[in-house]
Amino acid sequence: MTDEGARPGFARTQRILEAAYVCVARFGLAKTTIEDVAKAAGVSRASVYRAFPGGREDLLRRTVVWEMDRFFRDLAAAVSGAPDFATLLETGLRFARRAVREHAVLQKVLVTEPERLLPLLTTEQHRPLRYITGYLRPFLDREQQAGRLHPGVDPSLAADYLARMLLSLITSPGRWGELDDPAAVRSLVEHELLGGILPAEAPGGEPGWAAGPPRM
Amino acid sequence: MTVRQVLEAERPPGAAVTPPWWGLVPPGGELATGEAASASGTEARILAGALACIARYGVAKTTLDDIAREAGCSRATVYRYVGGKEELLTRLVRAEATRIGREVMAAASAAQDLTEALVAMAVTAARALLGHEALRFVLAHEPEAVLSFIAFEGGDRFLARCADALAPTFARFVGPQHAGRVAEWCTRVLLAYLTPYDAVPLDLTDPDDARRLISAFVLPGVARLAASPAPDARTPTTT
Repeated sequence: MTDEGARPGFARTQRILEAAYVCVARFGLAKTTIEDVAKAAGVSRASVYRAFPGGREDLLRRTVVWEMDRFFRDLAAAVSGAPDFATLLETGLRFARRAVREHAVLQKVLVTEPERLLPLLTTEQHRPLRYITGYLRPFLDREQQAGRLHPGVDPSLAADYLARMLLSLITSPGRWGELDDPAAVRSLVEHELLGGILPAEAPGGEPGWAAGPPRM
Repeated sequence: MTVRQVLEAERPPGAAVTPPWWGLVPPGGELATGEAASASGTEARILAGALACIARYGVAKTTLDDIAREAGCSRATVYRYVGGKEELLTRLVRAEATRIGREVMAAASAAQDLTEALVAMAVTAARALLGHEALRFVLAHEPEAVLSFIAFEGGDRFLARCADALAPTFARFVGPQHAGRVAEWCTRVLLAYLTPYDAVPLDLTDPDDARRLISAFVLPGVARLAASPAPDARTPTTT
């Protein structure tokens, strides 16, 4: 963030994205115009086009990405400091599901304009996958170095598996309801998610196992 | 008429019973109606023609004339056998979903153990979906039609439906107590690895890759679950 912040025009781009997000919340994806966004951001239309040469579609796509970034930064902050890997996953699942459920703009647009939002989310689906795999990989490497990973487990495939399944659970929890029952979520993490990756262990955490700062 | 509208017409809001569009197979095995199997030769040819047209032009741009030409019959014949475009698309989606669901079930039922069942299901589903030209066109150009049914709440419904259909198959291997939970998880795994747009590190159409995924990540959790003494009463089923 700091080196990006120093780039000229970054602050203006951020302001436009924020304004676009507010417009989408208010008018929806279909009705948000460049004009609205320029007005809300207090900049000229030309400035919006300069920052987003692809026009409206470009701006909307980047707005979705911008909000996804914020979501995953919050998620990373929520799980930092977890005492062990299983707890990190449990905390992350419960936090992320609650954040999806309580995300007023996401929920509104999912109801009013799913046909516009879903393709945007899906074509950008590699981003959350990359975030989650990138975030989990160092932890899996650490487990491997500590000799805790199941023999033969490839940390990169394991990170990919966990990322896909976490994303699936966060968006469509299915039988897991709202992922707000700690005992059920612990069982899910210990069996379906980590069954092939880590041996079952008593909760309580590893000494010195602090989740550390998010790496994104 | 878009695919989305067809699918929605097929799925009454709030329907708790298995909606017909993703017909799959009801618990117990045989299909209730055998829609696809009972299709007459002409109807089957019309449906095949429609699939070919959608693979080429997409749903929105396919006309009944295109389908009639492709099927080698008149437009009047298309009307007589399958009605208008809306009815035709409804039948097409149902027939395809039923056909693929049936293939996946058949692949699993021939297996001797859970590993073989899962590998067979994964490979069958992957080949059917990734090789489905009409579906690929729709996903690439009209994705909203399909996504509403596999993402967010649509995903919840899809998972519940598939888990209901597959639970009896899984009960053979993991017992009735965990069958629903395992069936949903396995469906979820396949869905997560077969969705478009992201680079998948494993190719599930390849039995070796499918086996690698299943034996490394899915089976150990199922085995741990089957060995767990306490019943997992804490996982409510959603409808």
